[in-house]
Amino acid sequence: MTLKAYLNDILEAVVTTAKGMRITARYGVDPKEEVTLQYPEERWEMPERFRGFLFNDIKTCTSCTMCVKACPVDCISLESVRGADKKMVLCSYDINIARCMYCGLCVEVCPPKSLKHTGGYEMASLTRGELVLHFVKEDAAEIKARVARQVAEAAAKAAEAAKAAEAAKPAEPAKPAEPNPAPEKKE
Amino acid sequence: MEALALSLVKSFPALAAAPLWAVSLALMVAAGAVVLVFALTFEGVGSLVLRKVAGDIQARIGPNRVGPNGILQFLADGVKLVLKEDIIPAKADRFLFKIAPYFVFVGSFAAFVVVPFGVGLSPADLNIGIYYVMAVTSLVVIGVMLAGWASNNKWALLGGMRAAAQIVSYEIPVGMALIPAVLIAGSLSLQDIVRSQGGLLGIFGWNLFHNPFTFFSFFLYFTAAQAETNQTPFDLPEAESELVSGYNVEYSGIRFGLFFLAEFGDMFIVAALATACFLGGWQVPFFNAAALPPLWGNLLSLGVFLAKAFLMVLVMMWVRWTLPRLRVDQLMRMSWKYLVPLTFVNLLGVSLWLLVFRGKGIPQMIASIFG
Repeated sequence: MTLKAYLNDILEAVVTTAKGMRITARYGVDPKEEVTLQYPEERWEMPERFRGFLFNDIKTCTSCTMCVKACPVDCISLESVRGADKKMVLCSYDINIARCMYCGLCVEVCPPKSLKHTGGYEMASLTRGELVLHFVKEDAAEIKARVARQVAEAAAKAAEAAKAAEAAKPAEPAKPAEPNPAPEKKE
Repeated sequence: MEALALSLVKSFPALAAAPLWAVSLALMVAAGAVVLVFALTFEGVGSLVLRKVAGDIQARIGPNRVGPNGILQFLADGVKLVLKEDIIPAKADRFLFKIAPYFVFVGSFAAFVVVPFGVGLSPADLNIGIYYVMAVTSLVVIGVMLAGWASNNKWALLGGMRAAAQIVSYEIPVGMALIPAVLIAGSLSLQDIVRSQGGLLGIFGWNLFHNPFTFFSFFLYFTAAQAETNQTPFDLPEAESELVSGYNVEYSGIRFGLFFLAEFGDMFIVAALATACFLGGWQVPFFNAAALPPLWGNLLSLGVFLAKAFLMVLVMMWVRWTLPRLRVDQLMRMSWKYLVPLTFVNLLGVSLWLLVFRGKGIPQMIASIFG
């Protein structure tokens, strides 16, 4: 090693150290450089199209099962029966949020746009069962029983109406059975 | 301490009934307690400041949960360290494992004894001050090596071996870099060295400005001392990324706490020595503290000394969060190929300067030109 290279080494060490110290000093003095977010108290504002937990508005859901078919990981399960008015009645709508990969395909295909991503991203639970979101609060069996009852009532009424129409045949042609939007009883 | 005891007996005649040795012993214990409390407080607050500085430099916030703005964090850390279980590995050499932290802590704390905190304020003004510091801080090597060996852990052993190699290598440049101050003062006592830097507005009497060689000597000392106390650019013995935590990897609870305290104690000792030997120690700028009435002079000089020393500690933290760790071979090369020759050249330069200019520094010459 020549003397020149030796002295150059020393010079380089001094210069590079000073350079580094200047940079850290700038960061140390400037309070604006802090990027830490105090999480539980402060939060990032979520982007508009953030894909958080799924939420299904069961009032507008038509039980079309498009979401179930679209889901690549089969995390959505849906049960429905045909109601007295020929419309599908949702018995249960569960999303296993632990399995969901937030691809958004279900939201894309949803015809009534009832399934949406929310901004939620915080969920911790002690058991895996708690990670299944139930959107229909009522018990599926009860809904099925109620719907079956309604269907039977509607059928009986239709039969009666048909009989009455038969009796009053000369007067008028038979009217189709009136849809029966009986208010749902809450147990 | 005996002189202080004598003056105390003179001012309080009631103490004359007690034998002089008892009074000086009580004074010694009191001084030791005061210095211990100071050292522990410094180590606690130092750890908090270290983390805050790290936060600032790394664009983070740092501890801010315990107490207002996190200022009680060090108490929480201390309580945690004291309460944690003191685990001794099954295969460890129990006796050595237990005593190793005490060596490290004593080696670091004993050096506080000669620190010149102010005019007449040093627990013991030994006439071999610097030599004593160099000798007693070498105890740390023994402790670190014992800890590394007794842990029966390959990382701890590697850390201990590295520490031994590093501390032994860097003792030489540290000593050589301090000798210019000794030469100028003509004494090894730290109080004498500080006293020799008085006059000339209290700033230009500093050894730092005495001549170009002492100026470089300060930086050489600072660099070498950082390496000797295993501060971060040279923290190979406890390199987290390679040795997990080095020699103290198996320690927990209060024994780990002692290593931790010793690290901060070393930090203060380095800063205090740099201050005392090159930055004028307790010499107050634009002021002659020694000429003030006793109590005020003592307190003012104490404040100035601590301000300078803490500033040096802050610089050490700044360095610590700036520079990446050296490799082992780079570390050794830096000591033997760069620092040792440079400090020798410096020593030679200072000696020649003192010989040629009859002990006068540049500021003194300038002052004598202007009368």
